[in-house]
Amino acid sequence: MRKLLLLAVFISAPSLSQELTHPREMGLPDSDYTRPDPAEYELALENGLIAYVAEADQVPLVTMSAFVRGGVVSDEKQGAAESLADALQNSGPSGMSSSDFKSSLKEMTAEFVVEMHGEWTEITLNVPAEDIDQALPIFAGLLRQPAISDANIARAASGAAPEAKDLGGESGTALYEGSMNAAVDHFYGIIYKGHPYGRRPTTENFNDLRVADVANFHGRYFVPGNIRIAVAGAIDVDEINARLVNLFGDWAAADVPEAKLMPAITRSRAALHHFPSKKLQSWLVIGHDLPPVPLKEQAAFEVMDYIMGAYHLNTRVMRETRYKYGYTNDASSFAEDRWYGPGGYTYRSYSRPEVIENIYRNMMGELIRIRDEEVSEHEMFVAKGALADGIFQVRYLDGYALTRSFALERLRYGNHDRSASYVQRIRAVSKEDVLNAARKYIRPDNMQVIILGEDAFELE
Amino acid sequence: MRIIRNLAILAVAFFVSQALAQDYDLPILEHVYENGLRLLVIERPGEQRVVSKIFTDMGALNETPGEYGAAHFLEHLMFKGTPTLGSQDWEREKEVHAQIRAAEDALIEELNRSRNVLRDRGVFHDYQHSETTPRIDELHALIDSLNRQAQELSEEGPMKTWYQAYGGTRTTATTEQEYMKFDLDLPADRVELFLRVEADRMQNSIFRNFDAERMVLVEQRLGDLNRAETEFREAMNSLVGRASMVYVPEGYTNDFLQYTRRYERELYETYFVPNNTTLIFIGGVTLEDMIPKVDKYFAHMERAPEPARYQGREPLPSAEKRLNWRSNTLAPRVEVRYQIPGVGHPDRPLFDVLSDAFEAHLQSVVADVGIDGTVDINTRVVHTTRFGVPASINIELVLADASQIDKAESALLAELHRLGEEPLPADLVAQARKKLRTEWYRTAVDPNALAFQIGHFEVMDSWRTLKPYLEARDAVTADDLRRLAGKYFIAGNRSVGVVLPGEAQQ
Repeated sequence: MRKLLLLAVFISAPSLSQELTHPREMGLPDSDYTRPDPAEYELALENGLIAYVAEADQVPLVTMSAFVRGGVVSDEKQGAAESLADALQNSGPSGMSSSDFKSSLKEMTAEFVVEMHGEWTEITLNVPAEDIDQALPIFAGLLRQPAISDANIARAASGAAPEAKDLGGESGTALYEGSMNAAVDHFYGIIYKGHPYGRRPTTENFNDLRVADVANFHGRYFVPGNIRIAVAGAIDVDEINARLVNLFGDWAAADVPEAKLMPAITRSRAALHHFPSKKLQSWLVIGHDLPPVPLKEQAAFEVMDYIMGAYHLNTRVMRETRYKYGYTNDASSFAEDRWYGPGGYTYRSYSRPEVIENIYRNMMGELIRIRDEEVSEHEMFVAKGALADGIFQVRYLDGYALTRSFALERLRYGNHDRSASYVQRIRAVSKEDVLNAARKYIRPDNMQVIILGEDAFELE
Repeated sequence: MRIIRNLAILAVAFFVSQALAQDYDLPILEHVYENGLRLLVIERPGEQRVVSKIFTDMGALNETPGEYGAAHFLEHLMFKGTPTLGSQDWEREKEVHAQIRAAEDALIEELNRSRNVLRDRGVFHDYQHSETTPRIDELHALIDSLNRQAQELSEEGPMKTWYQAYGGTRTTATTEQEYMKFDLDLPADRVELFLRVEADRMQNSIFRNFDAERMVLVEQRLGDLNRAETEFREAMNSLVGRASMVYVPEGYTNDFLQYTRRYERELYETYFVPNNTTLIFIGGVTLEDMIPKVDKYFAHMERAPEPARYQGREPLPSAEKRLNWRSNTLAPRVEVRYQIPGVGHPDRPLFDVLSDAFEAHLQSVVADVGIDGTVDINTRVVHTTRFGVPASINIELVLADASQIDKAESALLAELHRLGEEPLPADLVAQARKKLRTEWYRTAVDPNALAFQIGHFEVMDSWRTLKPYLEARDAVTADDLRRLAGKYFIAGNRSVGVVLPGEAQQ
């Protein structure tokens, strides 16, 4: 008894003088956040090119990004997009040799990123402010006239080869994060089988490809009205605007290609797909396609997704796998929409093999429960606050973030209506809306279950 | 609370030029409370959010053998709430926790009593040794049962929930060798939420769900071990260091199963005291506003006995050491490591420049002599690249072809020797300086990364060291690097590892 008393003292009550008002009772102020006005940052050229320019002078850096509506599923001749990406990444602008281009980047200590997604492409160049005179013409040249050659096609084709030598030090595909990527690739391979989003250029495609095909792809999609630019950093906004006019103002306007709408996928019944791998852990992906979410349902979908598993936080699937049972380090949802067709909605986790089935059952239990019963008031309160006062605000945190967000939104939707109404729409979501979103966007009968690991189990 | 210091300190200027001084502008404001708590603020008027961090000067360096990873585990436990955050009925829950502690004490006694049964005395044990006794099983079952009872009386994610609800993002934490920190970005006018939760976490943490959470660490460890490089790197770490805790891995599977509430509580109560803690804020707050706010939540904490700082150091290097590692999954390589001084030593910033300049030089030399390989020079040990204590510089040459290992090692050692004799080309050094400066800007542009650097320097040495550290890099010459190489890149301070093809001999 004495021992128990001592222990009770050891786990002592908080000291009396400590301020321990519960967060709910603290009287924290309501949010008075207002999203910045995109018009204040916008530069619209007559040829249709639109830029967003903002000063962010904490450090002497400048970031310039271009977003182009067109990606690897946009090309008429397969492989043209990948070859263009290679030209942008490695060859630089016309009139400059590849080695001069790379030397210039190195000399500026630039960060240079070319990412070609399915339906859009990003080119970002980050340099010290002292190098902006050197960087801006390169940036403009890349967009307007990249140097395209057979070497780009050959290099893009080598990327299509099944096994590229990895000098990074490890071989095999089943590695920590790498294995999750492999599991996700398997998932998309299954749901996009036979769908345009699932296509991958083959060696034959590249053999048939000519420089003119790549140039045609560039000429069709890299036109002023199909590009949005973001520039932020230690700059004078008026000066940058004048230089953008100078660099891009004489670029002839051209027809903006129509967005290529993609068909829905052919849905399959729920199935388990086992990909054997002898590793210390197993990787699990559960999911199905995500049809385009209309604006009127978007907020409810986001609240539902947040409650279930988004952002690796305190969510239902995290509680039912990690927090309560220690089965895994992470269990989270990933709503990966596409601009013009079906995306994917997956729940992912990994663990020691002996508990992977428990994770599957607990996650499926939550996927079914949210379709069956309304979420709680507390869950609504947390999700709405997190989305409206947290995640949304961060998108406009500084000049770098807001120019990027505005440029992408304008390119995708043609306006800023969505971000203008976002907070209001999130606040208006009801528990019934969440239930409806769950019933529409979570479909247990179509769940494809991917296991990358030593053993699998039977689906019920 | 009486104000001991309230100074607006622009870190001491070691000017290279006026322009550079402007480049490293770090308008850090400091206030130290009577109980030793340190508050650092960078005011950014007009910003609507604030980056908030709380650093504790403790980490893996402070662990004891057999409980490696315990500091990291403590960080996990400190997410489990307090009596006022996360309990449905604290009076009942408190009683269950007391029973769990009693059961754990009994378990420790039984483990001690049965040590001759439990011990694996073999050399080549496989970590699957699982001898037990009926009493041990009985106590484990009792603890499991009590854990379930406590779980029914508590709520999961009790701290993150409130951060999330009030617009908090980046609700993360990190523990490395020298620090534990908790992070939050949130609307600036709600900054008190951070203070309320962190003061509570610092004093009243309840180690809920202890046994489930330890398995999360096992998962993280398995994730590391899935990388073929992990075991090689850990072997290299242990080759370099004979005594320093810097080189100890994050814990072995054995350790994860040994953690006790008693030991975690001891770490918690020793190090989570105000005079071992730094609060950092960057964003839309002012020092003037923050002083009374922090006071409201932390003033009641009394200054505690100073936790003992880790003073471990390596014996003087006396012989070259070598590791031959066999692997068919890891690419062949040659790696050479030397011990280097910690942050606070005047030579340490020079190694940053040396790493970049010599990497570019070595890559070019390697190509010139026909070696197909990639050079990477870094100062990473486990996950961290800078320490307040001595650590290592790692010169790695990953090869495409194992037949070039001998040639690569000869070339590498020859260039390392030459580096101590002849200065590197001045343009390489200038390029390295520029690259480091730009990288710093890329860090400082992100207030979260900047706050981390300030806190990290504070635990390594002092936040005041940060600016001179950056400026010292700008002043480095090729001759400085030659002197540095001549001083540190000597055979007696060298550890060489080679990865050869072949099956690991287990």
